[in-house]
This record gives sequence, structure tokens and C-alpha cells, in this order.
Amino acid sequence: MQLSGTHVLNAPVGKVWTMLMDPVTLARIVPAVSSLELIDDNQYKALAEIKMGPVSGSFSGNLSLLNIREKEGYSLHVKQASKIGNADALINIALKSLDDDQTELTFDGDARLSGLLARTGQRVISGVANTLTKQFFANFDEALSNEMNSVE
Amino acid sequence: MSNRYIGESIKRREDKRFITGKGRYTDDIVLPGMLHAHFVRSPYAHARVVGIDLEEAKAMPGVIAIYTGDDVAAINGVPCGWQVNFRNGETMREPKHPMLIPTGSTAKHVGDAVAVVIAETKDSAIDAAELVMVEWEELPAVAAPADAILPDAPKVHEQFPDNKAFDWTFGNPIEEVDAAMEKAAHITELEFINQRVVPNAMEPRAYIGSYDETSDKYTLYTSTQNPHLIRLLMCAFVLGIPEHKVRVVGPDVGGGFGSKIYHYTEEALVTWASKQIGQPVKWTSDRSEAFLTDAHGRDHATKAEMGFDADGNIVGLRIKTVANMGAYLSTFAPAVPTYLHGTLLQGLYTTPKINIDMTCVFTHTVAVDAYRGAGRPEATYLLERLMDLAALEMGRDPAELRFQNFIPPFDGVEQPGYQTQVALQYDSGNYEAVLKRGLEMLGYENFRAEQAEAAKTNKILGVGFSTYVEACGIAPSAVVGALGARAGLFESAQVRVQPTGKVSVFTGSHSHGQGHETTFVQVVADKLGIPMDDVDLVHGDSDTIAFGMGTYGSRSLAVGGSAIVKSIDKILEKGAKIAAHKLECAEGDLEYAEGKWTVKGTDKSIGFGDVALTAYVPHVYPAGLEPGLDFSSFYDPANFTYPFGCHIAVVEVDKETGKVTLKRMIAVDDVGNVINPMIVDGQIHGGLAQGIGQALFEGTIYDENGQLTNGSYMDYCMPRADDLPMFETDRQVTPCPHNPLGVKGAGEAGAIGSTPAVVNAVIDALWSAGHKPKDILMPLTSERVWEAMN
Repeated sequence: MQLSGTHVLNAPVGKVWTMLMDPVTLARIVPAVSSLELIDDNQYKALAEIKMGPVSGSFSGNLSLLNIREKEGYSLHVKQASKIGNADALINIALKSLDDDQTELTFDGDARLSGLLARTGQRVISGVANTLTKQFFANFDEALSNEMNSVE
Repeated sequence: MSNRYIGESIKRREDKRFITGKGRYTDDIVLPGMLHAHFVRSPYAHARVVGIDLEEAKAMPGVIAIYTGDDVAAINGVPCGWQVNFRNGETMREPKHPMLIPTGSTAKHVGDAVAVVIAETKDSAIDAAELVMVEWEELPAVAAPADAILPDAPKVHEQFPDNKAFDWTFGNPIEEVDAAMEKAAHITELEFINQRVVPNAMEPRAYIGSYDETSDKYTLYTSTQNPHLIRLLMCAFVLGIPEHKVRVVGPDVGGGFGSKIYHYTEEALVTWASKQIGQPVKWTSDRSEAFLTDAHGRDHATKAEMGFDADGNIVGLRIKTVANMGAYLSTFAPAVPTYLHGTLLQGLYTTPKINIDMTCVFTHTVAVDAYRGAGRPEATYLLERLMDLAALEMGRDPAELRFQNFIPPFDGVEQPGYQTQVALQYDSGNYEAVLKRGLEMLGYENFRAEQAEAAKTNKILGVGFSTYVEACGIAPSAVVGALGARAGLFESAQVRVQPTGKVSVFTGSHSHGQGHETTFVQVVADKLGIPMDDVDLVHGDSDTIAFGMGTYGSRSLAVGGSAIVKSIDKILEKGAKIAAHKLECAEGDLEYAEGKWTVKGTDKSIGFGDVALTAYVPHVYPAGLEPGLDFSSFYDPANFTYPFGCHIAVVEVDKETGKVTLKRMIAVDDVGNVINPMIVDGQIHGGLAQGIGQALFEGTIYDENGQLTNGSYMDYCMPRADDLPMFETDRQVTPCPHNPLGVKGAGEAGAIGSTPAVVNAVIDALWSAGHKPKDILMPLTSERVWEAMN
């Protein structure tokens, strides 16, 4: 499953970076992820709920941040297992400061699916990927505006 | 003898139980204390089992036992029943197909089993299986046959780095074919994929193993096409149990299409586990497991060239194919692309020089084996696609081109059989006649004008032809033995006349939808001249039937039916002795008809029932004659049988969307003598649907990681009634000259001829509108057809 997207966030790059490095925020904005628990440096235990076409399931596994470049980006490695199959995704996230209030976030990557997920979800996979991408950015926008509001 | 039943469309006796829900399939059988198995399967196409944690799973309520590959490492793998060696003499490579993958070894296809959970209920087995924690190390995989022979392809079996199971060549020496092709005025070249399909039997595989300690005897209930073959393979090659200690029962079986010929690991495992635990163990595959673990069909990547002289006579045929074996060699797998495919490449044509170069490869996919037609559909697809394409390329009429190249008629009696360039000798054939009849039914003389009109619109028309010959009634044991079969392919039958003249027939053929309980009984009742109600057929139980090689390769009536006729002949011969004694005449003075022996030219007679009773109450009885009226026979056929026919498809293609609508499907088949026309029609209809399914709808998709991406009915498209036109069928009868019933076999014909007819029709439609594709990858989805025009 190919994953990619670009979105302009209304916040300075420093702010976006801080949020991206915060497990609580990440858990809130990454679609389908219900909890993130720090287990080691940049390594989290992650729980997720995913519905993909006809199949749905609870996933558990690891999420780790690799290749961390301060305010520039990192790679997100997600390995999730469930009774309906496993997912292994590597997603590169890049930040680009557009001006003092705007940051462009770009990501692209690939998720490899196995088991029932691979077997029955393929027809709807691009739709699911698009939905997840839209959700991710919508969640990010919402988290940012909440953050801004609470600051004000 | 009587003529009451043979040739009549008697309604199927077995349907009474099938359509009222009273069929008794393996999954319907409940034994006291029966446990349920569920397998833990690899989610990866290629992955090492690093470790397995059973702790949580074992603690689940209801769990009785969990076995991993380490527990069953001492058990042999399931064997392969056919050996085809490399052309240089190197022995065929037979990697072990283990019961379960042990720790440290690698799973070799998605669905390869690593553990089995046995629990009190199916649900608890499933729940516990989800808690079996397997640590996997995922490894690179290869799924497509042509990719498997690339230099850097991931290796399926470490010990065979080139991924080859064997390679093989057949027919005339390649130099002779090359020389013939060099002189050709025109060469039609076609590269294509005959895609992988899933057999999709309605009843998924199901097994129950049961062990009785007091008698030290096992019973295996299995959804199989051949109970005795399973017993032989499992006892002798896998579990090492003496055969007399194993009873194998194949009860009602809901379809097989080849996929239930083979001995599967799950069969041996439930049998083994039932002894370990001391309770019966049942496993029933779910549909998803069926997609992953039933042996698939087809999967050839081919380059074929057919050469013609300036007049359009075929001068040579040269083929290079890579065939996918999957990860392990299934029971008949090596025979399918070789001796069931290479030997059919003569087709119906007088092609003087033929050579095939075949490479059979391992990939990280489930095994490929015989699927309805088994090799003959692949051969027919190749030949018939070439013929229609050659006609288009040379500006010839495809029907005319065939008439020109057909083998002339031969009945195998007055004229000898036809010796092909690829080993076989056809028994009898009359190929022109089936095509002529097909053209008549089509109304060919008007079709091309309609097509030209349609070509001006958005709904273009095409016609596709396919004329096939296949090899059925498999097979003469000596012949297949010489070709690498590790079994004989005879059949057995016992006809037991009960004291009251009622008859029980025990056949080694196995019915899983073919209607044997009707057809075979029609034969017996007519041969004995008694009512069908007086005859019952018994099949599917190794304890009651002497032996059986089972049902596949359209062999049941031709081979199993012939064995029955042999036993009936013995019954009538002995009956005549008893009758002569009772009527105080010479045997030679008697004639047998309508269920009684009559002294010729008199009204003195004795009925079949009286003779039967006398045989069992032998008070007044010929001296020296044994009591009883019960005979067994084994029949080993003298040759294959060679049904043939002509299938014609008419399609409409929407130029704007690429959508293909099958408008007409015409099938004229010659399957030799016909016992029950309705059942033959049913077989043809079902076969046509499956063949059309491959052309237009079906196709197994393994992605680049070896994941099966369409493993459900939401994703794998099966043909439905509303995708199909009313079939227009007709028959011609050229009897088989070498079996007593003159029958050839009808089980696979529909699936053999129809696929290329449909694809040819679509290609023809596109050429009529000025597009000139040589091939479109099956299944011909709207997208692919549209792309061929845009």
C-alpha cells in the first residue's frame, strides 16, 4: 500500500516538530492509533484499530522513529500484528518551513500487508490510504488549533 | 440386456438427498468425543520460523493439544506421485513438504502451516490459534514462474538455487522443428500467460481422523476424489501405517475439479493426532484457507510459434513454457505441464514437426496441480489462440484454415488410430464434422456481414473458434508407468448379485457431483436387463471396495464403467451355466435378454432372480460350480480415449468501456457413446462456465511479495448465471473403439474448449474495428480490453 501526502500546516516548523515528537500528540493525530507508550528512546508500543473494507481488527506492535533530523523530519517505522494480518510500514516524513506561520509536511512510504488484510482488502486499499491520509492532516490541523487556542 | 436406460436422461437419483439437504458430507459427520483442529498458518510467502510461543494459547479453555513442526518433524512429507526427470537425466527435485514448518525452517507460501491447535470446539481452537505467537523473519519471495528463473530470484529451496523442479522437452528434435520453421512462409508468434486459477469446489476440504485403540485401526473421513489413493499415499509414504489398519471413507463430496485428488498434509495430521490424543479430530477448511491451501490450476508463461507454408498448411510448432509448480510438488503436479500437456500439442492438426521446451519451477506460492482439464486446457488454449491469430494475420478465414489442417476422419476400426508427433495415438476422430455443425448452429454465412455492420457502431462483434481434442479415460498403466507415474491407473469393480436378484455394485470410482449413482446403475440395469430400482451403487469406502484409483481425468465411466462391464460379463457367463442346468439344455442354446435366459426358439426361460437364488441355494446346481454370484474385476484401459469438439463464442465488446458481453456460446462435443444425455449436458455446461470463468473473470493474484491479494469471493471473481448466455450444445457420437461401452468421457471437455474460444472472439471483435492486439491478458476485464483499444 503506497502512502503519500502533502499538507500545509498553519504553525511554525518548531511547533510542528515538537508535536511530531510528542507521543501523546502523535497518538491523537495518527489515524487508528489509540495509544502510544514509550518503551525506549524513540520506540513506542502502539495499539491501533483499523477497518479496511470488509475486515477490521485490533493491532498491537511497535512504532519507532528513525533517522531523526531536528525540525527536518524523520522516518516512522510501524510494525503491527493482529489476528487479521500484519502490517509493516516505513514512512518518511519531511518538514519544510514556508514562513514563520506555515510549515509544509510531506510524507511518503509503503506499507506491506500480510494475512487476511492482504487477501481481502486490496480492492479498497487506495481508498483506505486516502482516508487515513486525510484523517491524519485533519487531526493535525485540529490538534494545532486546539494547541493555539489553549495558548491564547 | 435391455435398452431401457442407456441413452435416456434419467433424473439423478443422488439429487434427492442433495437438493433436500440430506447429503452427508465429512463436516456433517459427528463422532463421539470428536475434537476440532485449527491451523496456524504463515502470513508471509517466505519467512523463517524464529520461535513459537504457545504459553498463552495452551492456557485457553478447551485446548487439548498444540503441535508444532518440531513435534511432527519425524513424520515424512506428503509425497509426489509422478516423477519427471531433467532432460539431462538429473532426477526430479522433490523437496520435503513437511506436515508443519519446524523452528528454524522457512514457510514457503502464504498459508503454509506452522502449528495446529486441537480443542474441544472449533471456536476454542480458532481462539487459541490466534494466541499462538510465532516470531517470523520475513524473507524475499518470488511468485511468478517467469521471475523464478531470473538469476537473482529469491530461492524457494536453498538446496535448489535455480528454483527448477525439472526441465523437459518433448516431440520432434528441436533441430527438425527449427528447420521446418525456417522454411515457413508465415510464422504466428504469441507470448501469453495462462493464468493461475483457484478450483473453488463448493464444499471446502474436510477431514476427520479417528483411531480405535482396541483394534489398532484408523478411520479417515475425507473430502477426496480417491479414497484408496489417499490410503496408499498416507500409509505407505507418510505415516508408515499398514494399509489394513486404515479405512478411508470419502462420503458425499461437494465437487473437486482436481483439487481433491491430492494427499494433503492436513489429512495425515488429523489421522496422526487422533492416535496421539485418543479422540477423533476433525478439520474443516474455511473458504479463506481454501484459497490459500487448495492446489491451484494452470499458471504457465508461454512463447509459442506456429509456422505455415504459403498455402496455409501448418509446417511446425515451437513452444517454450515456464510452468509454476508452487512451493512443493503436489501429487500429480509434474504430470500436468508435461505428459498431460505436451502430448496434446498435435491438437486436431496434421502439424508435421512439434517441439516443446518446458521448465517447471518452484515459487513461493501454494502448489499447482491438475484442475479440470489438467494440461489439456493449456494445450488447447495455446493451439487455438495460435490458429485464430494466424488466420487474422494471414487474412484467412479461421474456420477454413482449420478445415485445411484437420486430421482426416478415422474410426479406429476400419482406419487405424492417428499417430501424433507427441507420442499419443488418437483412438477415433471426426473433426471436420463437429466444426461444420458448429458453423451451422452459428449461422456463419451471415455472421461476417453482421460483424461488419457492428464495426461501425460502439458495440462491436467478434467470433472465436476453438476445436479441441483431449486425452481422457486415464490411463493405460504401462504407458503412464513409462512416463513416470508411480501408480497404475486401472479401476476395480465388484458386482454382487444378492440371493433375491438385487444387485450391489462396488466401484473404485468416486462420485463428487458426476452422477455415478445414476449413470453406472443405468449401465448395470440395462446389461442385466433388470429395473434400475434393483441396483445400487456403493463407492467411497476402502473397507467395502476392493480398490480404486478414483475419479479425475474424465476416467470414471471409460475405466470404472468398463470394470463394471467386465464383472457383469462374468455374472452372465456363470448365470448361463446355472440357467442351462436348470433348463436342462446346453449353454449355447440360451440367449439372455430382458432379465431372463431363454432357450432359443422356445418359450422356456428362467429369470435372473431365479438364477441368483439358485446360486445361493444351490440344491439343483451344476457339478463343480462354486455357489454365489459375485464377481470382481480390474480394468486397465488399452489406450486413452480422445473426446473432441468445437466451441464457438460470440461476443459483443463495448468500444467505450471495454466491457465484454458473451452473446452466444456454442458447443458441439463428441464424447463417444452417451449413457445419460442430461448428465453429459450438465458436465458440458459446468465445464463451459469454468472455462468462460477463466477467460473473463477469474485469476489468482499473488503480489510481488507473494501475498495472495484476492483470496475471497469479494476479490476473486467467479462466473455467475447472469454472466452467461443460454448455452447452445449439440453432440456427435464417434464411439471409442477400445472400451466395451464405447465411451470417451465428458467431465472436462467444457473447460478445455471454451476458454480460447472466448478470448479469440474478443480479439476478433477488436480486429474488426481496426485494433490489432495479439493478446490480452486473461481474465479479459473491461479495463484490459479498453486498454487494448486505447
